[in-house]
Amino acid sequence: MTLTAMIAKMSEGLGRTCAIFFLTLLFSLPLGLLVALLRMSKNRLVSTVTRAIISFLRGTPLMLQLIAVAYGPFYLFGATLLVKQKLLAIIIAFSLNYAAYFAEIYRGGIESMPVGQYEAAAVLGYSRTQTFMRIILPQVVKRILPSVTNEVITLVKDTSMAFTLAYMEMFSIGKQIATSQSSFLPFVIAGVFYYLMNSVVAFAMSRCEKSLGYYR
Amino acid sequence: MMKKLLAMILVLMFALIACASAEQTAFKMGIDAEYPPYSYLGDDGAYTGYDVEMCQKVCEILGWELEIVPINWDTKLIQLDANEIDCIWSGLTIDVIDPEAYTISMAYSDNSQMILTKKGNGIESLDDVAGKTVGVQLGTSADILLSEGGDAADFGASFGELVRYENYNICFTELMAGAIDAVAIDIGVANGKIEEYGDEYFTVEEPFAAEKYGICFRKDDAEMCAQVEEAFMQLVADGTYVELAEKYGLDTAALCLTAE
Repeated sequence: MTLTAMIAKMSEGLGRTCAIFFLTLLFSLPLGLLVALLRMSKNRLVSTVTRAIISFLRGTPLMLQLIAVAYGPFYLFGATLLVKQKLLAIIIAFSLNYAAYFAEIYRGGIESMPVGQYEAAAVLGYSRTQTFMRIILPQVVKRILPSVTNEVITLVKDTSMAFTLAYMEMFSIGKQIATSQSSFLPFVIAGVFYYLMNSVVAFAMSRCEKSLGYYR
Repeated sequence: MMKKLLAMILVLMFALIACASAEQTAFKMGIDAEYPPYSYLGDDGAYTGYDVEMCQKVCEILGWELEIVPINWDTKLIQLDANEIDCIWSGLTIDVIDPEAYTISMAYSDNSQMILTKKGNGIESLDDVAGKTVGVQLGTSADILLSEGGDAADFGASFGELVRYENYNICFTELMAGAIDAVAIDIGVANGKIEEYGDEYFTVEEPFAAEKYGICFRKDDAEMCAQVEEAFMQLVADGTYVELAEKYGLDTAALCLTAE
């Protein structure tokens, strides 16, 4: 197999890698905010349950969570949807896992906001929702952007975990080529692919940071 | 804005569920796509190998449509249970499958487990392996046999260390680099690797365990298994069985089926 053939074959899986990446971000970023708000809820039951869920999602390997999401419903209820729809199972597992991490990042950002701002907003007649959506959240987003970038970069590399469910994304194909050709070249190609993707991510995120840095 | 986003998310969810939810009727063959020469990704980008080609021929005889599904070897039985695949046919060691829970075909290959080493590592017989560092691919029959509770566990315990790698490719890099002294491996795979890496690599003559390869089906698919076995025997009778084994460099001595 020539180098071009290897790259071509691995590129076939690149679309799937990107699908995992973008769909996970799409679902986990909003879900993370919701989880963060539940985690900070004044209701002790809600916050304790949320804390336990976050602890579970962060404390067990993503690989196990993938297997649990895909095959758990099958063994418990005989449901085969997630067995047949690998991408769906992967997106659910990844989104839950990443939402747990994002939630803690959001929480850190929200809790770092001075209480004075809430008081000032209240004096000016803002409702609680308005205060949060219009005053707190925009500042939080600015503050947490570097930590979010970290997670997003990790996510690019974590897409390779989809091999657990035998989902043929770029790295799984690379491993198969490496075995059949007894070559380390596919790993080099995979490394280049990941690096390029992450360069784009880092570039996009630094642009975001700049465009949000309007008070500096 | 929020509503639009929500609508977008919903549409995406449905698209995800809808895509590929069409029912398939093909015979789904589960393979470990990283197990040459039995099943692997060929130069043309399609799956090939001894087992794959045998299965293609069997399906031709039976007039079945074949779909080759690469699986995660660690979850192969789960994937079979969940109807993701109809059989596991990929250098599967049937000795480790529970016959009460699954339908298992006749053995089509008696496959010995060997110690493969490099010249100058001081290993000539199985006794010499005592105290040495041996590599194995995680979850392969060599690994299961040598690990605690396996049939060759005593032999495994004589090693200095048994190191488990994700695949044999890495095992060989480690062997080449001198990080490990030997590799425990199926004879078919071993011979293929020796051909590839040169004759400074060799296997110790005596196998440490004999293994049988077969095809595993779900418990209630006994009829499917019988059909496959019948077609398989036709391939044994017309010589395809041995021909393909030679084509893929398998040890024909391991082929245990004969036409009656």
